[in-house]
Amino acid sequence: MNYITGGVVEAARLVVTGDPEVLHATWVSLSCTLASVSLASAIAIPWGAWLGLFRPRGYRAQVFLLRLGMSMPTVLVGLLVFGLLSRQGPLGGLDLLYTRTAIVTGEVLLAIPLMASLAHGLLAGLDRQVVETALTLGASRPAAMVRILGEVRPGLVSIVLASFGRCFTELGVAVTVGGNIRLYTRTLASTIQLELGRGELARALAPGLILLAAAAGAAVAVQLLSREDRR
Amino acid sequence: MNTPACKALLAVVLALLATGCGPKVPERVRLVTTTSTDDSGLSTFLLEPFQEETGIQVQVVAVGSGQALELGRRGDADLVLVHARKNEDEFVAQGWGIERRDIMWNDFLVAGPKSDPAAVRGLASPAEAFGKIKASGATFVSRGDESGTHVREKAIWAEAGGPPTGPGYIDAGQGMGPCLLLANQRQAYILADRGTWLAYASRVGLDVLVEGDPALRNPYGIILVNPEKHPDVNASGARKLRDWLVSPAGQARIGAFQIGGQVLFHPAATGT
Repeated sequence: MNYITGGVVEAARLVVTGDPEVLHATWVSLSCTLASVSLASAIAIPWGAWLGLFRPRGYRAQVFLLRLGMSMPTVLVGLLVFGLLSRQGPLGGLDLLYTRTAIVTGEVLLAIPLMASLAHGLLAGLDRQVVETALTLGASRPAAMVRILGEVRPGLVSIVLASFGRCFTELGVAVTVGGNIRLYTRTLASTIQLELGRGELARALAPGLILLAAAAGAAVAVQLLSREDRR
Repeated sequence: MNTPACKALLAVVLALLATGCGPKVPERVRLVTTTSTDDSGLSTFLLEPFQEETGIQVQVVAVGSGQALELGRRGDADLVLVHARKNEDEFVAQGWGIERRDIMWNDFLVAGPKSDPAAVRGLASPAEAFGKIKASGATFVSRGDESGTHVREKAIWAEAGGPPTGPGYIDAGQGMGPCLLLANQRQAYILADRGTWLAYASRVGLDVLVEGDPALRNPYGIILVNPEKHPDVNASGARKLRDWLVSPAGQARIGAFQIGGQVLFHPAATGT
């Protein structure tokens, strides 16, 4: 199809000439994703790790919830956050609907189950003896968890990158609670949808290629990190 | 997890959150409108001089007409600009919106295969054309998504004695662009809005067969969200924007917007 070659040329032109709309959308996608992934990591990694290492009360129910959340459609999360932040909703007074903070809120909710689930899987698969040893060395449970997390850093990096991928490329939240407002909450993914609706297929491909480049960058990062770990 | 990295990360997060929730310096008006005005590029073109003149930042959220009115009902919009006359009147009658004004109109057209098997080319009345499409058994693509265009499509079919029931009637359930591509694939007839048609015309092998009838006009109304129902809305900003849009300057700007040398939206504001 000639629109693909045309799209690649157009994408290169938009990036090289520093098209303000594309640059801004890239910035919105990147900043929201970094904020979401950081916040979600702080909550989800300890949560998932704790579940995997110590099987606390309510273990099965929590694991089930996380697995459910992991495959939640992004539009459904968007709809729930919309209900929360809309003026008629419980947090309506904060006036956060159609802001980047709203996008971050939704993305955190997308990332937490994914990251906690993967962290749980990573640590539940550890040799029990590692856990027992850490505990018998006199460490408290939280201290043992921090120590063990330090040991599985490469695995954690993959988890962070997986959630980065989910947040960076998602569309449901960005459109439903971000509103796709030009030069404000428009992300790369919502730009694609918009340009497609306008019939500008080549312009739609440009942000797609930036997303692809970011995904490639993330994949390379994982490879480099895992190679370093093997040494 | 080493501490410098954590600190750096924390600093980044705080900086990002600050950009999100920092002090809101410029006055903001949230205009909720339909995808047709935003997809065509009209909203960006139209609002530029207003934003420069007043310093008010207009945030455009583009959704379907139904959702636009719902956002107004919930107080999540300051101003709505839609094309769904019956629903607009209901919105005002129920007290959610005030002071509905006509602002502009654009039009629909009937497109179809160049071979025109139903022989509708040049007919004036869309209902007559739909009747002939039905009688000939030709394929027709329906939006099927309760959009403003679909509502109009159904009204024309009702006038033509109801839509065809056979396999020739394709209920697509998609946006205008994808439906045009589908109609092209199946060499079908379709009702399209002029803006999307112009954007896709070069990519589909269909012709405009019926256009220009008053029954194909698509009027847009602009409505202020009632500040008595939602005290938090920016009522004064919304009024300023509305007043500018219906003023001679705003109306001239609407008429100046063209795609491929064609005027898409025709100014329609009348005096108060």
